[in-house]
Amino acid sequence: MDEKELIRRSQAGDGEAFGVLVERYKSKVFSLVYGFTRDRTAADDLAQEVFIKTYYSLPKFKSESGFGTWLYRIAVNHAKDYLRKNKGRQREVSLDDVGEQALTAENRSPEEKRLEEGRRRVIQDALARLPEKDRVILTLRDIEGLSYDEISGILKLSPGTVDSRLHRARRKLREKLAGRLDWQGGDHGL
Amino acid sequence: MDCKKAELFLLRSLDGRTTPEEKARLQAHLESCSSCRAKDAEFRLIHDLIRPRTAPEPLPYFKERLLAKIKGKEKSAPAFLWVKWAHRAVAFSLAAFLFFGAGILLLRTQDPLELSQTERFLLQDENPLDEAASILDQKKAEDRNMMLIFASVGDSDVSRRYRP
Repeated sequence: MDEKELIRRSQAGDGEAFGVLVERYKSKVFSLVYGFTRDRTAADDLAQEVFIKTYYSLPKFKSESGFGTWLYRIAVNHAKDYLRKNKGRQREVSLDDVGEQALTAENRSPEEKRLEEGRRRVIQDALARLPEKDRVILTLRDIEGLSYDEISGILKLSPGTVDSRLHRARRKLREKLAGRLDWQGGDHGL
Repeated sequence: MDCKKAELFLLRSLDGRTTPEEKARLQAHLESCSSCRAKDAEFRLIHDLIRPRTAPEPLPYFKERLLAKIKGKEKSAPAFLWVKWAHRAVAFSLAAFLFFGAGILLLRTQDPLELSQTERFLLQDENPLDEAASILDQKKAEDRNMMLIFASVGDSDVSRRYRP
């Protein structure tokens, strides 16, 4: 069914139509909030809250911006609130969270997998310590892979501001990681 | 190209936002600058490892749990639903009130109005001095007096008054 029709029906209180929208967007929303929480249970709770907020805000939705952009904006704002409330109580990335991913790496020796796993943890840890603004833009661009235009719509910033803010955030993250990563290891050098 | 410009280009190159010409200039700079080469390797390593290898998925029955929560909220808080529709109900009531009010005002039958003496003078162009002039025009004092007596009893219809 056409997305506009699903939105119109959801606005009229049709739970089934809203369920279809949830199915379409749940992975994206979950992945986005997981980028902020790094905890599957917390991300699941947060994603549920995002959809509940969306459902009750639907009567106010005007299709000037796309539904996806609007939903992402709600998710980002909700995640920001979560980060503010849980400042300093951020959970470190667990081995369970990254271990599963490391094990799926093909053609890697156990030592390489361990090295990569360690690096991912260090990067996530440094990311969690960045100011909220930097964390948000890095999550949207470098983790979620959203385009400049999409980020521009979600954060209501000009593409030029997205560009400069993203570059500043990447510089800060690199500075935070100075001396914490073994840069020469792996095959990432030139 | 200086190192500052090279940093800008290598940050842009992470998003594939460099032109072939900029890419070539950056490459030439990196070949001659070990510091920028190291920086490039660091940015690329972070960029590659910041994204999880596999996208995490929500816990099972995400949609079912969500819809059950919404249903539960609406059952336990019917007032919330009322609030949801309240603004529409208020707007509708106001519009209906204005519509019927305007209709009643427009369709109301007009009562014939009795004009006051002043309104008659002004709206129907009656001259109050006409009556006084006709009295003063009488040659006989008796007639004048009789006309004055009739005028003083307040008969508004001059035609039915005493005529000599």
